[in-house]
Amino acid sequence: MESRENQSPQDERARVLVEFLEVAITSIIFLKGVYPGGAFERRRYMNVVVQRARHPQLRDYIHSAVTGLLPFIQKGLVNRVAVIFSSTDNIPVERFIFKLTVNQSCDLKVEEGDLEFSLRSFLMKLSVSGPLTKVLPRDCRWEITAYFSSIPQVGTSKYAELWIPTDTKQWQQPPLITPIKSMSSEPLFMQLYLEHPSLSEPKPEAKNY
Amino acid sequence: MSRESSRSANSGQRSKRSLNSSNYSNNSNSSNKKSKISNQKTLGMAWGANSLSSSRSSFRTSPFSDFGSYMVEKNRKLQNQFNAEASNSSHGGSSSEKPIFDGVSIFVDGFTIPSRQELRGYMLKYGGRFENYFSRHRVTHIICCNLPHGKIKNLRSFSGGLPVVKPAWILDSVVASKLLSWVPYQLEQLADNQPKLSAFFAVKNTPVAEDALNVMDPSLKGGTSQDAGLFVVGDPVKEGEQIDGQFGDHDCKIEEPSSSSGKSSEVRMVEPTDTEDESSVNNEIRSRSCPLSVSVRIDCLDNQNVRKSPTPSIAGPSNPHHSTLEDPNFVDNYFKSSRLHFIGTWRNRYRKRFYPLSNEFRCRSASTVNASDNSQKTTIIHVDMDCFFVSVVIRNRPELQDKPVAVCHSNNPKGTAEISSANYPAREYGVKAGIFVRDAKAICPHLIIFPYNFQAYEEVADQFYNVLHKHCSKVQAVSCDEAFLDITDLGEIDPEVLASTIRKEIFETTGCKASAGIAGNMLMARLATRTAKPDGQYYIPPERVDEYLHELPIKALPGIGYVLEGKLKKQNISTCGQLRLISKDSLQKDFGLKTGEMLWNYSRGIDNRLVGVIQESKSVGAEVNWGVRFKDMQDSRNFLLNLSKEVSLRLQGCGVQGRTFTLKIKKRRKDALEPTKYMGCGDCENLSHSMTVPVATDDVEVLQRIANQLFGSFHIVPPSLYDLDMGVIESLPSELFSELNEIYGGKLVECIAQSKGKREDSSGSSRILYHEREEGTTGCGEGPLASNIFPPNMILVEHTAKQHISEQSPSAPPVSGAGSNNEAYQTAGLVNIDLMPSSLSQVDTSVLQQLPEELRADILELLPAHRRREVISTSSFVPVTENAQEPLKIAENQSISVNSILNSDLWSGNPPQWVDKFKVSNHLILRTLAEMYYKLGSTGNLSSILQRAISDCLYILDESDDSWADEASHYLCELLKQYIEIKIEFDVEEIYLCFRLLRRFTKKSKFFLQVYNIVFPYLQSSVGDHYGGHLHISPHE
Repeated sequence: MESRENQSPQDERARVLVEFLEVAITSIIFLKGVYPGGAFERRRYMNVVVQRARHPQLRDYIHSAVTGLLPFIQKGLVNRVAVIFSSTDNIPVERFIFKLTVNQSCDLKVEEGDLEFSLRSFLMKLSVSGPLTKVLPRDCRWEITAYFSSIPQVGTSKYAELWIPTDTKQWQQPPLITPIKSMSSEPLFMQLYLEHPSLSEPKPEAKNY
Repeated sequence: MSRESSRSANSGQRSKRSLNSSNYSNNSNSSNKKSKISNQKTLGMAWGANSLSSSRSSFRTSPFSDFGSYMVEKNRKLQNQFNAEASNSSHGGSSSEKPIFDGVSIFVDGFTIPSRQELRGYMLKYGGRFENYFSRHRVTHIICCNLPHGKIKNLRSFSGGLPVVKPAWILDSVVASKLLSWVPYQLEQLADNQPKLSAFFAVKNTPVAEDALNVMDPSLKGGTSQDAGLFVVGDPVKEGEQIDGQFGDHDCKIEEPSSSSGKSSEVRMVEPTDTEDESSVNNEIRSRSCPLSVSVRIDCLDNQNVRKSPTPSIAGPSNPHHSTLEDPNFVDNYFKSSRLHFIGTWRNRYRKRFYPLSNEFRCRSASTVNASDNSQKTTIIHVDMDCFFVSVVIRNRPELQDKPVAVCHSNNPKGTAEISSANYPAREYGVKAGIFVRDAKAICPHLIIFPYNFQAYEEVADQFYNVLHKHCSKVQAVSCDEAFLDITDLGEIDPEVLASTIRKEIFETTGCKASAGIAGNMLMARLATRTAKPDGQYYIPPERVDEYLHELPIKALPGIGYVLEGKLKKQNISTCGQLRLISKDSLQKDFGLKTGEMLWNYSRGIDNRLVGVIQESKSVGAEVNWGVRFKDMQDSRNFLLNLSKEVSLRLQGCGVQGRTFTLKIKKRRKDALEPTKYMGCGDCENLSHSMTVPVATDDVEVLQRIANQLFGSFHIVPPSLYDLDMGVIESLPSELFSELNEIYGGKLVECIAQSKGKREDSSGSSRILYHEREEGTTGCGEGPLASNIFPPNMILVEHTAKQHISEQSPSAPPVSGAGSNNEAYQTAGLVNIDLMPSSLSQVDTSVLQQLPEELRADILELLPAHRRREVISTSSFVPVTENAQEPLKIAENQSISVNSILNSDLWSGNPPQWVDKFKVSNHLILRTLAEMYYKLGSTGNLSSILQRAISDCLYILDESDDSWADEASHYLCELLKQYIEIKIEFDVEEIYLCFRLLRRFTKKSKFFLQVYNIVFPYLQSSVGDHYGGHLHISPHE
């Protein structure tokens, strides 16, 4: 996209990562069938077939959300990026979590091929992980939420102003985790896993005596 | 686009808030005259003021973003209140009270006596803390009076490894005005003091055990548990003697650590007062060579406190416990001396003997039943011998006729054998069937007790039935001493005359008395016999049935047991007359269709059963429910074999074959107390599994195979390695305490102080430490303590090594300030050089490194040369930063240790160290895993190895030999744990794959099931630490 020569390896990695997240999140949305199939079109990314949103608003939401993360990913502040599907009353039904760890101190230039190989395996695994997921209720909502390892200073970025508090509630019990894919390609470690409410979730905490 | 901003912001606010309120609480402490209410108000204000500064919008709608933050706030408020009250009370006159509970923080679970409020008051007054909500990090002790079954079963998840103590601990501590050790106050439900079969037989093999007095070593007779907290049986020569010594001690344990790992054994004894009893029971058993009794009991080593120490030698045939257990006549002997077995198998005998008679009768009765329907009035005689088991035994001893006599397995006045039958003179004293001998002797000191005489019983029963069959062809045998006769067809004979003739004849032939009841149906005849006894007869004519029943207590009706009686009592029904007032419908509604109808009928004296309908045996089986204790899987397998043999014999004896096989198991409940009955089964869970085979069989081998298969399906595994006791931290040099103490946030020092108070009770203090350590592993994930990687059982071995040193070099400085503890261990008289761990993986490096220089040098000195080489070579190629979690520790290790032994790196190197270790292992599965590694090349992923193993050689899983299973499972667990440690942070997918594969293995192999069960909790807690959730591995995949 832009000229890559004048970028530090960290920036370069962050850029690839953000790009990948955009694709992966779109794939998740497609996988979960939130929108009719016609809302997506087949594209090729890193030599695998992926889906791309056709509706401009959807595409923009995903794109702006992940691009908004770029400066923070570059700083290594972003801990996890979650795609949360929740019921109408904002109780999460399923969460796709991308757990990111970027070794900031590493100056090595990413081997494009290695990284691509790893990321591709993510996309391939993602496309077949449908059976692991839950059937969503009707009228579900979804959102992209980022978890930061520390609070960014206000005003670091113009994007900060775009933040809105999430309405989505949290589970009271530790969730059940189903790993989908992990990759460790120094200096980038990324894992994708699913979180589902624990079986004891709906009950309120019974420790109130 | 929504982000985590609100939450992040929240946490920011929260931290500000907490800062503020802690300031505040300081204020309140200094000026503690303020009341509780004003505290709250100010807290609220401080809060509001704070939240002004940040985004108000989110707070206007709800003050808490989620439940969690609400609880944080609530907990803090409660704590503040507590602090305020505590400072109030301490300043309010009673300031002289010692803060004995300093550092103790209790959580009260459920209903307690005294109430939680009172306990809270004590904690307030004596410097302790009181938590309203359980938290593993804040609570140090859980106080409760009893626990529900669920919590006991899942104790770890409930208590998080914290001690669960009775409230008496607090009260007694207050009275003693010092902190007592909580160990004696541990909830009984959790304590384990079950005697084992091995203990039982150990004595039997002791050559000196001639009689009760000889068995007891006089010096140990009054021995206390204090000076014998831990026996180490390492020397075979001493073994017998030491086992003798066990007798005086309450609940002491024999640990048998030795060179390499294998089985452990544990011997627990019952209370000292029972000593004589045991030995004489043993005598009896030896003299008749038969442990008595009936019905299966499989004790599956599931106890909380079972200690495992790696020792193969114990499994050897020289072990006296073991050999007895393997006694091939074990089951046979059981049945030879079982009364219930006699009664149970008597029926077959009877049928064979009287088959032609009863067959003929059945044909006839079949025709007459239809014809005679209700038209003819039936007359039934019920004949029952009076206290059969006693009277047969004394039938030739007229001088005993009017003396109290009972029949029982054991004549020991303190025994817990049950009286099986008592004669009428004895019954006058209150001696009855089912009570323990000791109780019987207590109420009737001159009670004469006879053993069973099965031959005589058989003889008399045959005579009895001969008489009955002579007089009447319609005989229905109920039991060996009880029968119904249908004399309807005999017509003109007066039933009363007939009954007295029969009784007279029975007395003449057998020398025993019988009673008879005569009535219109079986129910009434039986009830009549009740009135007739002893040695009499009673006739209830139809017109007097109502009268007879009117005042009859309902308990007397057959089919009304304890439970049903209780239910009826609740409805104020105690006699049949009262029962009759209730309609059939409401009875059926309350007690079910069948029972309701039965109650309705019986209360009116209606009984439609016909005499002579001999029930075909629908099943043939064998059951042993007494004296069964297993030490390992091999024991249970042998036992199953013997049981299968017995069943096969019985099948052949009855001339039948079976297709559906059921294995019933009594598994001791976790919370079960020691059974009152010696070697009894106590409180057990009853489990059963069935299997139907296509072709009916009575073949022993087939039966055995089925039994093993069924047994496997119970998934009963030996206790996990977690359940180990250790007392190592205590023996560390004092500098290390401060360090460890910091890690634990100061708790360790208190804990040690606590244990110092109880120094004499060595096992007690080590338990405290054990818990402390457990908390370290689970609670402080970040702590540099090595316990994250080393499973507890390694420490035990290390422990041994240390003892060893103190033995070998008495001049060496005491291991620590806590050195006096070692005195206790030394008394154990450990001399076996070969107790040094044979493999380095058994040595807990962290402990070793923490030892003073000289001691460490000593230990390394003592390692055989080849072992030492291994030490050095291992330490050389281990990457120092292997474990990112403990940089601090490692840095320190480097500074203090020269020859460090590392075992935390089974996965380092290429090929990884485990491959080499497993390659030479004795265990087939481990060898296979190592082979798989080579087959796959050097990808090194465990999941691919397991995958390959699953597709290649699943067949091996079944036939692994058990003798090395413990060691092997320990290795495999260690391997897995280290793998988790390495992979958890960045590759949870790999771990997920591995455990799903392992789960598949568990279906096939008990070995893997054991490993899986041990490692699984570790996995989940690790995942919890890193991902805040649990791995979703479905149990029914």
